[in-house]
Amino acid sequence: MKILSMSGFVPEQVCDTVRFTGFDGSCRLSHYCGYAADFISQVREDSSIDGAVFPKSCDSSRSIGSYIDDTGKFIYSMPVPAVRNAESVDYFAEVLKDYKGKIEKHFGVSISEDEIKSRDSVISARNAKIAASYGKLSGLSYASYIREVHAALSAPYEFDESHISAGNGGKPVFLIGSFLTAVSLADSIEKAGLKVVADDLPESGRLASRAGFVSSDTDIYKKIASEILCTRPSPTQDLFAETVKSDLEEIREKGCKGVIFATQKYCEPYDYLFSVYKKALDEQGIPVLQVQMADSTDGSGKDAALEAFADII
Amino acid sequence: MPDSYLVHVAGAMRSYYKDFSKYAKGREPSQKVAWVTSFTPIEILDALDIEYIYPESYSAVIAASGLEQPLLEESNRQHLSCDCCSYSCCFEGCVETGKGPRGVPPKPDVLIATNNQCNTLPGWWSVLAKRYNVPLIILDYPGEFTEDTIARAYVEKQHKDFVAKMEELSGNKLDEKELSKRIDNSIASVAAWKRVCACLKDREVPPTLLFDNINFLITARCKEETALIYNLMADEMETYPECDKSLTPLFWIGYPLWYHKDRYLTEVMDGFRVCGSNYITWWNLDYVGDTVWDKLFSAYNATFLNLSQKTKTDRLSALIAASGAKCAVTCRNKSCKCDYVSAKNVGIPQAELEVDMIDREYLDVERAGKLMEILKETIS
Repeated sequence: MKILSMSGFVPEQVCDTVRFTGFDGSCRLSHYCGYAADFISQVREDSSIDGAVFPKSCDSSRSIGSYIDDTGKFIYSMPVPAVRNAESVDYFAEVLKDYKGKIEKHFGVSISEDEIKSRDSVISARNAKIAASYGKLSGLSYASYIREVHAALSAPYEFDESHISAGNGGKPVFLIGSFLTAVSLADSIEKAGLKVVADDLPESGRLASRAGFVSSDTDIYKKIASEILCTRPSPTQDLFAETVKSDLEEIREKGCKGVIFATQKYCEPYDYLFSVYKKALDEQGIPVLQVQMADSTDGSGKDAALEAFADII
Repeated sequence: MPDSYLVHVAGAMRSYYKDFSKYAKGREPSQKVAWVTSFTPIEILDALDIEYIYPESYSAVIAASGLEQPLLEESNRQHLSCDCCSYSCCFEGCVETGKGPRGVPPKPDVLIATNNQCNTLPGWWSVLAKRYNVPLIILDYPGEFTEDTIARAYVEKQHKDFVAKMEELSGNKLDEKELSKRIDNSIASVAAWKRVCACLKDREVPPTLLFDNINFLITARCKEETALIYNLMADEMETYPECDKSLTPLFWIGYPLWYHKDRYLTEVMDGFRVCGSNYITWWNLDYVGDTVWDKLFSAYNATFLNLSQKTKTDRLSALIAASGAKCAVTCRNKSCKCDYVSAKNVGIPQAELEVDMIDREYLDVERAGKLMEILKETIS
């Protein structure tokens, strides 16, 4: 089975999923996130995809199911808790069990707890390696690093730092945004003489934060649930103050001269966060460049803005 | 002289706006103030004597007063993207400038957001939380996306925790009998409002009346007065003449256009009459169960926009069938990604109009007129 997954809220431990990393599809919906529209396109148009799993965490993602429910494929809209506490972890653990049960029923397979634990070990090992490389970003090519991360988001979940090329230097910047499907943006950043030394991206900084997370839960579902919910938050978890505080600390600690805020057009969680984030950066005198992408494949045409930003900082 | 609903409407409005800056004149509210989203279990707040204010509704009032444009521009200057929900942009402009038709609402002691209509609201409330530096409580409703017993236990726990936090804020202790009384009031309000809505199908009732007066079901559903207002309104409407049956019955899918004097596009709807709307049914909450917790769960977990596409389609189709509509206007609302798709597969011809419920400059009236002409030709 080949299940296309969206977002870091979807557990990789329950069964193999293919993380959505961009698709040039035909689905276009007005005022709707192009990234989510491309996800819809891939589910509808890619015959190799057997199913889709996505979170109910923003307005675009919560309505994805409405656009693909006629495909006959496995569809799971994951109700990710909007709050973060012990009760929401317990609840999310039940959701994960439900997800597992629905997969078993749809595909006629059986997934044992031992398999989930074994997969969890593999995922944890990968996250640890990503975290180690994340800590050395100042010496690595960020574009090369992020490509290696993307490759490690699907089975066999192998991340190898030796595949990452060395960095060429540049003005240190912090990158925040949604999943970087358009990796060419990372190329453009480097070409402009900028160097990403830290980030708050779902597949990088946030994933790396899971490596150091210690759960006291012996129940595997609760362990996975707490790791997903209680590490570095996504803007859809509405913990803006925490995000701003921790990002500012890292920006200072890593000596970043500026921030690149890269998001999808019509992505409200990031748009709301930006209004708060920008004010906080302004107060600290840290320049910020907002880069908006139309869809999951749109990484081009940002060179002039990036070069101008490099000059400013 | 028979009792008119208008007298009670005036009283309810006075009560709601009493602490807005235009009327309060510097006087502090006598109660703790919560800013809430429109599907918050306000029965709990009312029973604890906490005042609740609806920023979304106030944005609608601002647009209806013709004041939204400078406030939208101001929010954009504050780095809030104009792609965001216009309710939030308009309101941010209001609190930033201190300008609004009734001034600004009293400052919140707590912010309460729910995700049972959309995920935008918790994001917007997070921005407000940063502005006012007050606690933000998010109530998480899984809707139809989780098995009922799991969702029920999760929501009940949240409701009880919410009560504890609001008891601490207000200094009052919740009396379950008082809560039950508020829930009964809400049930009575919904029943009375359904009587009002039923008049739209056959009577000469301007839809504007319903679009405007649903306000009380949103902001005051658990007040005793609300059912009284709606029952008096229904009594009056039931005496209205029969509607003109030569006009094509049309169902309005989506939000009212708050900036419009009629709240819908009368200028492009010659030959049509609005016989139904899904928006006016959204707050017909279903308080089912033996205990107050069961009732609150069923009402607030199963709100329309928190249902699966299949249930939404079934419900909307049933509403349309009951209205006798032969066609529909479907609003592709810039501010709401969740509502538009509700209209999938409803089985009647539709004209899809690109609109925004707050920003009047978003609509291309000429194009809307052409689409309505095409709709007319389709059904003739």
